[in-house]
Amino acid sequence: MFVLYRSLKYFVLLVWSAFVALPFLWALTTSFKTANGVVSGATYIPWLQYEPSLEGWKVLFRGEGKGIDIITPYLNSLTVTLSASFISLLLGTLAAYGLSRFSWRAGPIRNADITFFFISQRIMPPIVLSIPFFLMLRMLGLLDSRAGLVLVYIALLMPIVVWVMVDFFNNIPRELDETAMLDGCGPLETFWRVILPNCKPGLVVAGLFCIVFGWNDFFFAFILTFTETQLLPVAIVSLNSSVTPWWSLSASSLIAVVPLVILAFVIEKYLSSGNLAGAIK
Amino acid sequence: MARIELKDVGHCYGPAGGRLEDYALQPFSHVWEDGGAYALLGPSGCGKTTFLNIISGLVHPTRGRVLFDGRDVTALATAQRNIAQVFQFPVIYKTKTVHDNLAFPLRCRNVEETEIRRRVQEVAALLNLESSLKKPARQLTADAKQLISLGRGLVREDVAAILLDEPLTVIDPQQKWLLRRKLKEINTALKQTMVYVTHDQNEAMTFADHVAVMDQGKVMQIGTPQELFECPQHTFVGWFIGSPAMNILPCTVAEGGVMIKDKKVPLPALAKAAATAAGALELGIRPEFVQISDTPGAGALGVDIREIENLGNYNIVMLDLDGLEIKAKISVGNPLPDRKAFIRLPEKSTHIYASGQRLNPGT
Ligand SMILES: Nc1ncnc2c1ncn2[C@@H]1O[C@H](COP(=O)(O)OP(=O)(O)OP(=O)(O)O)[C@@H](O)[C@H]1O
Ligand SMILES: [Mg+2]
Repeated sequence: MFVLYRSLKYFVLLVWSAFVALPFLWALTTSFKTANGVVSGATYIPWLQYEPSLEGWKVLFRGEGKGIDIITPYLNSLTVTLSASFISLLLGTLAAYGLSRFSWRAGPIRNADITFFFISQRIMPPIVLSIPFFLMLRMLGLLDSRAGLVLVYIALLMPIVVWVMVDFFNNIPRELDETAMLDGCGPLETFWRVILPNCKPGLVVAGLFCIVFGWNDFFFAFILTFTETQLLPVAIVSLNSSVTPWWSLSASSLIAVVPLVILAFVIEKYLSSGNLAGAIK
Repeated sequence: MARIELKDVGHCYGPAGGRLEDYALQPFSHVWEDGGAYALLGPSGCGKTTFLNIISGLVHPTRGRVLFDGRDVTALATAQRNIAQVFQFPVIYKTKTVHDNLAFPLRCRNVEETEIRRRVQEVAALLNLESSLKKPARQLTADAKQLISLGRGLVREDVAAILLDEPLTVIDPQQKWLLRRKLKEINTALKQTMVYVTHDQNEAMTFADHVAVMDQGKVMQIGTPQELFECPQHTFVGWFIGSPAMNILPCTVAEGGVMIKDKKVPLPALAKAAATAAGALELGIRPEFVQISDTPGAGALGVDIREIENLGNYNIVMLDLDGLEIKAKISVGNPLPDRKAFIRLPEKSTHIYASGQRLNPGT
């Protein structure tokens, strides 16, 4: 019975890992192929089944002539994603704390309505937002700039941070704030020194969401930038031509996914060290 | 360490200026002397926590003023009042070690690190927490966590008062007893003003020198445990304190005595006190003071014995006076008549109440 259970467990794990890992392997082999290697049916083993080539990778780093320079969009994406995530996290967490701990009212509008207002921003389909964003950035002279994209991403990410964190703060007993105040903290000190350290799991979840969204966004980056500023997803798509260059697309996707894989490993380590579980109860 | 004075303090959670009945804490005044051990006793929802929170500044009272040592602190924020408060459920800083938990109030006040270490060591020794100082606080048991909460108050030598809000709720019974004794010891040793909130009369009576009994936002009586037992100023106090509760019997006044169910009891002083009182009259006597005998006589009331409940070294005797239930608490050694008996109500242990409020026979 036990053996059966074990083998079943490993079988499921095996299938699942294949499911997760194979697309990456597929992209990896493809990135080393040339046109010939790709069109002649599925091949897997280099040198035996196809002749490996670095063409797909070279295209990404060739500054002059054909091909693109992937470094600049890469750095752009990093800067925009990290700044937007950081600012959203900072402002969103403060807003959420305020919404969770103090009562606000303006006429019939109360805390719950304000919270809903934040969340409702994400109910609209993004396409509805594209034109207003375009017009607003043009008015500010921020079209085709990193700052403009950061602003747009903050507008998109902050509601999610507020949403996640309000719920998180609501689950932290008020007595914790009160204890901190009794121990001599002012309101802001209470937040920084006592509440925030207790919120790591929530911050991790919200931050992860921000980074993944910012890093992967193609839609707004595509609409709001043209030539000066290019983000990674747009750069990757721009590789495409009448003959689809599968090799360089694969190579660039692999590069693009690296930061997220690293992030996944860091968080996995954080998760497994019991931080998430222990921090709440 | 401070003398805490409340002047006409009341609180209403709804909009200010509401009706007095809506107040979670009805306005009242009282002085808590420096170094005293006080208890606040009352049923759930009667406003005990509200009361503590007003002292600690977590709630700003709708009306009235709070004074520490004569200084008006009504408008001061909690952080500036230097109060320690232990809540019903242990609150610890989960991300910190036990040592850092205890050190936190001092760090907030920018105390020197060497001094902090000295104070934390001292308090840890007092609370038997020395061996776990380096552990993460979240790994400790509930009662150790509660000790940390208390310790965070004790590390401050100049703390104005230590407020304990049902601190032993989550502690198992044996630990409860130990912890309560520890609290009492600390109170005597450190001379800190302590206010202990509970809905358990035994806890209140054993801990405190003075107990305030509350009901529905009103402070009913403040007195020593003995005063509360012997001379309840309100029928609620008589009913809430003591086990079993005080006998409360509806009555009317007659010439030279009190009528209970058409039977006259010669209680001239009480009758005189009640002669001009308005509102429904009630007679109150603790089961401990009801005298039972098998012989009729002057002032004795004939009753039926309905049930005898043996509670170890004493019996609770349920008596029936024409349909009115009266309880008497009699030591096991004393002989009991069977079925028919006569009871006497000694005047000095009997009280008369009008609309629940005790009438003083002295006036
Ligand atoms: N923040 C609040 N807002 C509105 N009403 C409140 C609030 N806190 C308490 N109350 C009300 O005030 C009354 C007194 O509450 P309080 O918490 O002081 O009672 P308590 O004696 O501490 O009760 P318990 O024994 O259950 O802790 C209750 O009726 C309660 O519903
Ligand atoms: Mg309470």
